[in-house]
Amino acid sequence: MSSEITMPKLSDTMEEGKILRWLKHPGDEIHHGDQLAEVETDKADMVLEAFDDGVLDEVKLQEGESAKVGAVIATLLKAGEAPRPRPRLAAAPAKDRQAEAAQASAPSPGNGSSTEPRRESPSEPNLRAAFSGEMEDHANGIDDAERNPAMSVHPSSAAPTSMPRPPRRPSPEEESAQEQEALAREIAEDGHKFRASPLARRAAEEAGIDLANVRGTGPEGRITKKDIDNFLHEQEQFKFRRLVQPHEGAPGSREELSKMRKSIAHRTAQSKREIPHFYATVEIDMEEVVRLKKSLETTEVFDLDISYNDIIVKALALTLVRFPRMNASFVDDGIVIHPNINIGFAVAVEDGLILPVIKECEKLTLPDLARKAHQLVTKAERGGFTSDELSGGTFTISNMGMAGIEHFAAVIVPPQAAILAISAIKDRPVVRDGHLAISKTMMATASCDHRIIDGIVGARFLQELKRFLENPASLLV
Amino acid sequence: MANSRYDLAIIGSGPGGYVAAIRASQLKMKVAIVERDRPGGVCLNWGCIPSKALLNSAEVMEEIRGAAKEHGIQTGEVSVDFKRVIARSREAADKLQRGVRFLLKKNNVDLFEASATIAGPHSIALAAAEGKPAPSASTIEADKILIAAGSGERLFPGMQIGAGVMTSKEALLHDRIPSSILIIGAGAIGLEFGYFYQAFGSQVTIVELEKQMLPGFDAEVAEELRRNFVKRKVTVLLGHAYNSMQKTGDKWTVTVSADGADKKLEAENVLVAVGRVPLSGNLGIEKAGVELERGGFIKVDDSFRTTAKTIYAIGDVIRPPLLAHKASAEGIAAVEIMAGAREPGFDLLSIAGCIYCEPEVATIGLSEAEAKARGIEVKVGKFPFRAIGKAIATNSAEGFVKFVVSAQYGEVVGCQIIGHHATDLISEVVLGKTLEATNIEFGKTVHPHPTMSEAIMEAALAVDGEAIHI
Repeated sequence: MSSEITMPKLSDTMEEGKILRWLKHPGDEIHHGDQLAEVETDKADMVLEAFDDGVLDEVKLQEGESAKVGAVIATLLKAGEAPRPRPRLAAAPAKDRQAEAAQASAPSPGNGSSTEPRRESPSEPNLRAAFSGEMEDHANGIDDAERNPAMSVHPSSAAPTSMPRPPRRPSPEEESAQEQEALAREIAEDGHKFRASPLARRAAEEAGIDLANVRGTGPEGRITKKDIDNFLHEQEQFKFRRLVQPHEGAPGSREELSKMRKSIAHRTAQSKREIPHFYATVEIDMEEVVRLKKSLETTEVFDLDISYNDIIVKALALTLVRFPRMNASFVDDGIVIHPNINIGFAVAVEDGLILPVIKECEKLTLPDLARKAHQLVTKAERGGFTSDELSGGTFTISNMGMAGIEHFAAVIVPPQAAILAISAIKDRPVVRDGHLAISKTMMATASCDHRIIDGIVGARFLQELKRFLENPASLLV
Repeated sequence: MANSRYDLAIIGSGPGGYVAAIRASQLKMKVAIVERDRPGGVCLNWGCIPSKALLNSAEVMEEIRGAAKEHGIQTGEVSVDFKRVIARSREAADKLQRGVRFLLKKNNVDLFEASATIAGPHSIALAAAEGKPAPSASTIEADKILIAAGSGERLFPGMQIGAGVMTSKEALLHDRIPSSILIIGAGAIGLEFGYFYQAFGSQVTIVELEKQMLPGFDAEVAEELRRNFVKRKVTVLLGHAYNSMQKTGDKWTVTVSADGADKKLEAENVLVAVGRVPLSGNLGIEKAGVELERGGFIKVDDSFRTTAKTIYAIGDVIRPPLLAHKASAEGIAAVEIMAGAREPGFDLLSIAGCIYCEPEVATIGLSEAEAKARGIEVKVGKFPFRAIGKAIATNSAEGFVKFVVSAQYGEVVGCQIIGHHATDLISEVVLGKTLEATNIEFGKTVHPHPTMSEAIMEAALAVDGEAIHI
């Protein structure tokens, strides 16, 4: 039977989404994993992927229109089903259906809906959200680690759809259905061969493009080389838009806020309004780190370059292990100490910044960290984040060393307890053994949530960080 | 019929104009077409069709001449009624001309046999054409005007046609075999007539200013063709510039020069085949605001629209290549674009060029040199017909197939074929290119044996060094 496709919840904080572009159109065959539409959320432009096979029947939300999470945005016909009028389920309030969806896909116990019997909602399982190459303007992971107490009371805001669905033993009925589905997909994929020219196919393969993402403009929607060229061109433009270019704006103009700007505005203001910040700065002698980095480069013991940032993140992770209170959240008049150290780092993108997160840093060696960081930075340039990579941070580091900054303080990413601001490593006068000397030093400033952290804790934390960085041998362990 | 307003009025009923008219009628337009000569234009009456009839006679002549040597068939003395050769060619043209009249009628296209000038954005003035009665109307009104006036023979300054000096048009009616003929220009027309006359025993000399036959074509193809002409006892003078000609007695003396030295050549007839020029004059287009480009071609945009909003143009009159099938394809495209049934734009690189001498030459897209000049990194696969069974069996071992594909994806950038039936063989490549097949698909496609087409498959495989039979 036909099923409805609803606006999925693509981020923890998403309330509504705007259809930027339909990638499939009524009458198009849809297969599991096909990209359906580009959706602008508060965090990023994301791509909706199909979870079911069928034929797109009707699009209920036009490009440029927004809808609340859970609202029906399109309907899908199962393969072989003729389009026909159906009772409009959309009469039910969106929220209810969304709750249903949340229940259906509740990822783990502890979620407010976990006691409900698990059942398929007509809508949500059709969709899976994924960040894709098209992602444009993620906002801060500011939202990501949030554990809003409200969530547990409103199942509607739980269950990020991007989380892996729990394994479920299929019934025999379903198994046969799955077989049929697989068969149908095989046939469809076979048929797909005729929808792209050999040249387009080859060009797509070389460029690493999934033809499913390309819209064909040839006869009967056939994908031609021109379509591949256009696709690559668009990708290129996306890439340019993601380049680290601060947004200037024309003097005398007024611009509407992008979702990301709106999100940054909201979260930073909320942070400064709700979180009593205090700041502590320490000067760290980086001579040893500079030497360490050089010796790693000379000996090439690792198969990749280790950056200063990697070394600082490693030192930070080690420090946080000793200062769990710095790795915490003020939630519902209580303090939650996080079990893992998930460090987000700010990456500037056009018109804002994103916060990719390295999970479980306490378990990663320096080269592991470097590899992960490198991957994330590459994705920041080219796109392709999974939502998991942009959420779940427990501590954030903001490094403006490359911008030659002497010293600065950052705004805490709610609901994290602190943020570390790193400035440039530069030659400064230091006193060593009673003598004035020149050394490479760096200023590190912690902004701390005073509700969780008192001055002395912040100060000791910084001293510990300083000790690790000034004695970096331990970072290699 | 008179004074009724048309959706579209077309000037010229050649392969561009009449095809556009039929397509427009299919798209529910009310169409008028104006022709000052004979329906079907140059192609049908003075070009492709009658010349192919002559070339067919030449081929038969070559077959008979070679019969004894190749097949052991004794023919005795062979004589030719050349008047019949010419008459047969005219019959072919007449038959097709009647066919075009029929098609126009069948598609409710009103044919005006008159000469046309554009009188305004929506109006064409008609006048009696040479040797024809006054037209049934003095003007026709139409929403849109399509100029498909075609091209005419190009002459160098001072050249006078007549008294043994001909263009292709006169040659098509010339019913005597010249004992000797000098052909100026080694382009398609010069080569086809050169081949034709040598087959009937004329002493043929071809003079070409450029250093190769078929200037602009692939150099290897041109050289292969030159060797074949020389083998047929044609004198080919490349890099020779035409200076002047003079009648001395019943012969013509043509002065040419190469490397600064003058040379005098004698021949009974002279055929001028130095190209064709767009017939953009005498149409009143300047007054209508239609601008011209270099070479007298009418300037059009992606939609075949001229600089005058209501006036469109297609075919020889807008840009090279001057080919009938290009004109037809442009005619269809222009009309479909007018009707909103097609996106603007036209891919000239998908137009094959064909030359019907023996061996035939057929090309599409870019040559290796052209591709390189455009900065396209290419791979080349070449396969000679002498390694093809059918070619050996049918004494057609001349020539080769050459594929030029992009190094990156194997995209067909160009293909050149020289050999028997090359002009029929090329269509496979045209279709493949249109469908964006790469050399891999051409190589993978199983070609029937024994056929000449196997050379296409082998050349495609040769791109990656995987040809089997060489």
